[in-house]
Amino acid sequence: MAYSELIKDISRIRDYMREFFVYGFKNRDEMGGKSARSYDNERRRIESWLADYMSFRQDANGKNVFISVDTRAVARNPLYQAWKAKSFTKNDITLHFWLLDVLSPSEPKPLAGILDVFDGEYLPRFPNADPIDESTLRKKLKEYVDLGLILAEMQGKQMVYRLPEDNVDLQSWEDAVNFFAEAGPLGVIGSYIKDKFVTSADFFCFKHNYLLFAPDSGIMLDLLMAINEHKRAELELVGDKLLTVLPLKIFISTQGGRQYVAASSLQGKRAAFFRLDSIRKVKLLDAVPDYDAYAAAFEDYRSRLWGVAAGDSHLEHIEMTLKIGETERHIAHRLEREKRCGLVDQLNDTHWRFTADVYDAQEMMPWLRTFIGRIETLSCSNRTVENRFEADLAAMTALYGGDGHVVS
Amino acid sequence: MLFHEVYSVYFNAVAAILGEAVSGEITAKRITEIVNETAFSESVLMLPPSLKGEEWMLLGRNLQTLLRKPPQMPLTILQKRWLKALLGDPRIALFAPDTAGLEDVDPLFSAEDFIYFDRYADGDPFSDKVYMKNFRIILTALKERRKLKIRQKNRHGKKISGTFTPCKLEYSGKDDKFRLITVGGGHSYMVNVGRITKCELLDEHNENAMAFIPPAPRTDMLTFELTDDRNALERAMLHFSDCRKETRRLENGKYLVTLWYNSPDVTEIVIRILSFGPMVRVASPDSFIALIKERMDKQEKLRPG
Repeated sequence: MAYSELIKDISRIRDYMREFFVYGFKNRDEMGGKSARSYDNERRRIESWLADYMSFRQDANGKNVFISVDTRAVARNPLYQAWKAKSFTKNDITLHFWLLDVLSPSEPKPLAGILDVFDGEYLPRFPNADPIDESTLRKKLKEYVDLGLILAEMQGKQMVYRLPEDNVDLQSWEDAVNFFAEAGPLGVIGSYIKDKFVTSADFFCFKHNYLLFAPDSGIMLDLLMAINEHKRAELELVGDKLLTVLPLKIFISTQGGRQYVAASSLQGKRAAFFRLDSIRKVKLLDAVPDYDAYAAAFEDYRSRLWGVAAGDSHLEHIEMTLKIGETERHIAHRLEREKRCGLVDQLNDTHWRFTADVYDAQEMMPWLRTFIGRIETLSCSNRTVENRFEADLAAMTALYGGDGHVVS
Repeated sequence: MLFHEVYSVYFNAVAAILGEAVSGEITAKRITEIVNETAFSESVLMLPPSLKGEEWMLLGRNLQTLLRKPPQMPLTILQKRWLKALLGDPRIALFAPDTAGLEDVDPLFSAEDFIYFDRYADGDPFSDKVYMKNFRIILTALKERRKLKIRQKNRHGKKISGTFTPCKLEYSGKDDKFRLITVGGGHSYMVNVGRITKCELLDEHNENAMAFIPPAPRTDMLTFELTDDRNALERAMLHFSDCRKETRRLENGKYLVTLWYNSPDVTEIVIRILSFGPMVRVASPDSFIALIKERMDKQEKLRPG
């Protein structure tokens, strides 16, 4: 099949965008068993969509392609472009514009009436054109009714079609759309709306913005449908593993670049977390009648989660004492704003104590390390955590202790 | 359906072309311009020929269109449901959009569906009346290119005021805060919107469009060696994916990462690097290594081994 920059299915391109954006050091031969032709085509497509953000490097291992973006410098997530590359047929595009032209909000038309306009006014302009058959039009009308672009109503005994009244004042939404398209869930939908604005000044910019959430938007939408309809879902995970779960919440890390779905296994056990970028497909199943009981149990459970790690469901107690100088009160403020389910007590003028009881204290390790330089004591009921922290500290001291730290 | 051609750059580009064709005359040159402005870099190879060659039956060979009115696509149900969902977000109060037309629409999601588990707890007070008022004045100033007189409390609680030329409004999802980026005298200043006590619109600033390009933030670069232990490679690659970075593979499961960051953020970057423990070793520059060493030395003194 001839190359096209448009795609029928977005799932494959997710892998490539991730490889190019997150890692960017793999060459063609290392891209997970994909054929050279497939690699070349996908790379060319992404280049076509994201030309301004693609970089290349040639080294001994071959040519590396990578996407490098300072997210503060871009007002619009460039990865949304993949969602705007859906392929279509000749009939799709012709009927789209013909239907928008022939229909209006005020003059409904039956299918036969629409066909009459096509046959009488539009087709004669193109002498070599094939006629539009009734079943093709009927199918397209149904599709557009499902999308909400066309309304179908009974008029007497016949079905008539019209455009919906466009009574949303989009102008009043412009600033909100510009903001939430980048900073809100499923921002790609906002990006679709942004495309409607003739000119839109980008006053907003974004720090700590994880652009790579964009390719997972389809998975997120399906999971939200399951959550809101209280339905079980079959998750197809990377590695062809299938799991049936009850999705409950979406957990988003604003610091780690990861999104998860919290889901109940439905077997009376605690919830599990699945990264959205590890889910290939979501299939919605039947609704669960006692959804509220699962949701309530999870709410109770999550009050003792530090993040998304559940450990072995036994609470672990952790305590950390920090020495904070008089000129370092911002550290105490940091503790307060970052404590999550923990507690902070001021012990005296220079000492603060953080305590928490969580299901997996190991997960706190990266956060604890951010206080290096001020930690006077650290203890945990799980000795592995204590030992790991001490061992890491010793390893870091060794790393920065000598002069041989420069990598050439 | 999220992935659909009605949202595609091709349909948008064709709508723009047909819109111009209906209201006047369109030329082949203008078609190419529109495609280059609105579609992908290779679209110009496929889109104009299909349109001009009558394959899509929208333009004749003489570039006359059969359409009677400029194409206007209504909002889809998905788009309306997304807009309705925004009404459940506390930040929507800052924008006060007209909610008419969405009365019978179900929100696509609710704010309660999401847990931002590592977001800082001292985010801006989005529903505070003074905050909302200041935010809207700032938006007006940005749109109308006007200066602002801003009174604020600095981090030490001291009241200060000044006249600023607003440039951009920056939001951080981690901090859940807005910061106003202002320019003047070749420098850029950040103002925390949450610290503003009063904000007044002043006259238009006379910066022309070209001169108004804010000075690029000063950036610094560091390199670090990463050891892929405990899944550190994936964690670090995702964690730092908000920054411009470049990664090279070394030997024995090690990688060399070059990271660029805005110079004023150096303390934040030190903290982010420390969070990876011994899996990350800063290789350069020496000034950054000194910052890490300073913390390690301080730690050593607190708990001598």
